[in-house]
Amino acid sequence: MIGADLLEAVQKLYDGLLVTLRLIAVSAPAGLALGVLVGLTETYGGRLLRGLAIGYQITFRGVPLVVQLFILYYGLPRLGITMSPFAAAIVGFTLCSGAYHAEYVRSAVLSVPDGQTEAGRAVGMTLGQAVRHIVLPQVLRRALPGCGNEIVYLIKYSSLAYLVTLVDLTGQGRLLAYASFRFLETFFVVGLIYLTLVALASSLLRAVERRLRIPT
Amino acid sequence: MGRTHPASAVLLIDQKMIWNAVPGLLDGAGVTLGLVVGSVGVGMLLGAPIGVGHVYGSRAVRTGLWLFDRVFRGFPAIVLLFLAFFGAGQLLSVRISPFLAVILALGLRSAAYQGQIFRGALEMVERGQLEAARALGLSLPGTVRCVLLPQAARFALPALSNEYSVVLKDTALAFTVGVVDLMSRAKFLAMRSREVLVAYLLVAGVYFVLTYAGIALFRIVERAIAVPGLGSRRVRRSR
Repeated sequence: MIGADLLEAVQKLYDGLLVTLRLIAVSAPAGLALGVLVGLTETYGGRLLRGLAIGYQITFRGVPLVVQLFILYYGLPRLGITMSPFAAAIVGFTLCSGAYHAEYVRSAVLSVPDGQTEAGRAVGMTLGQAVRHIVLPQVLRRALPGCGNEIVYLIKYSSLAYLVTLVDLTGQGRLLAYASFRFLETFFVVGLIYLTLVALASSLLRAVERRLRIPT
Repeated sequence: MGRTHPASAVLLIDQKMIWNAVPGLLDGAGVTLGLVVGSVGVGMLLGAPIGVGHVYGSRAVRTGLWLFDRVFRGFPAIVLLFLAFFGAGQLLSVRISPFLAVILALGLRSAAYQGQIFRGALEMVERGQLEAARALGLSLPGTVRCVLLPQAARFALPALSNEYSVVLKDTALAFTVGVVDLMSRAKFLAMRSREVLVAYLLVAGVYFVLTYAGIALFRIVERAIAVPGLGSRRVRRSR
């Protein structure tokens, strides 16, 4: 890989990186939002909703992400539901990471004493208001370390998008590696790019955590 | 056959094909469990000393471990898998078997995570105990082995159960380097029977059972070796 070849390789990896970043930019917030919704449903929902939320969480945490992606992209067309590779990856990542976020949110909700919600109700708030203004601000802070970790995982597992034919960073890396037979160099560079993304995300999340911390 | 209506799609499932696939899927599940036991085993053998190194190692040891940790926890599992399978061949000009490549990649990755788990567990044991053992004349390695590790291992167990379920799900990537595990059996079945949805739902069910059966087993071990009064302390591994 010299000169023009190297330049072309860099260009291709950059194209792949953009796809990876787009995947993360959509599915990380979507997964977090779903996780918060499910976590709250598990703690405040009625019997039926709670059952559904817990069932969802257990199911998606018990099955590998690859299998979920294959069901979405290769399996569902059997029922007439067809998705583009990008859509399938987004849906898969969102559903899977939502299930993991939900657990952090659920345990954060349980860590807020009941008395606070009751106090809110006693001063005339509805349950919804008490949850929104009293419980949720605390829950989001307490769930942040776990949820942040989950977002870091999502960055790494976004590499599975290539399995549903999307040419993301890993996909471009594979094409380059097979074309040049330089597997070691190519995958090491690809790995370093993911590592950089992970490091950036971690320090960003830590800054947010510090920023939101309640001064004691 | 053309596009089928959802309801009829369910009825048209080739049941015989599915039943014939059961022995193959069981074989695949066996291979998958082999990968998990191998990877978690390698991870444990290396993870415990790595954890000790993180806490008690010299500056050079800690820097080396930090680098190892960064790479193996920062690279995606699938990239590590490709590096092990294709990269080892390129570097050593020997082709290692796909099975070994998966155990190498996921084992080292697990070692990095388990190193962090053991580091956390070691830090949970009070410093006073280390000093007391040293004051009684026990050597440092002796103290680590006889005083710290037995306690740390118990603190670490809940996180190790989590580690099992993570590694199990990561082994589903083994088919990408050609291991004939549960996932590739599902792919064969999907191709041959054309019941793609059923094949993947079936294999999802098997993974589901393996995940929660394993976690239940860990909980039994946890209860069996628990020290009364020390039950509530544990290191958490996020996923």
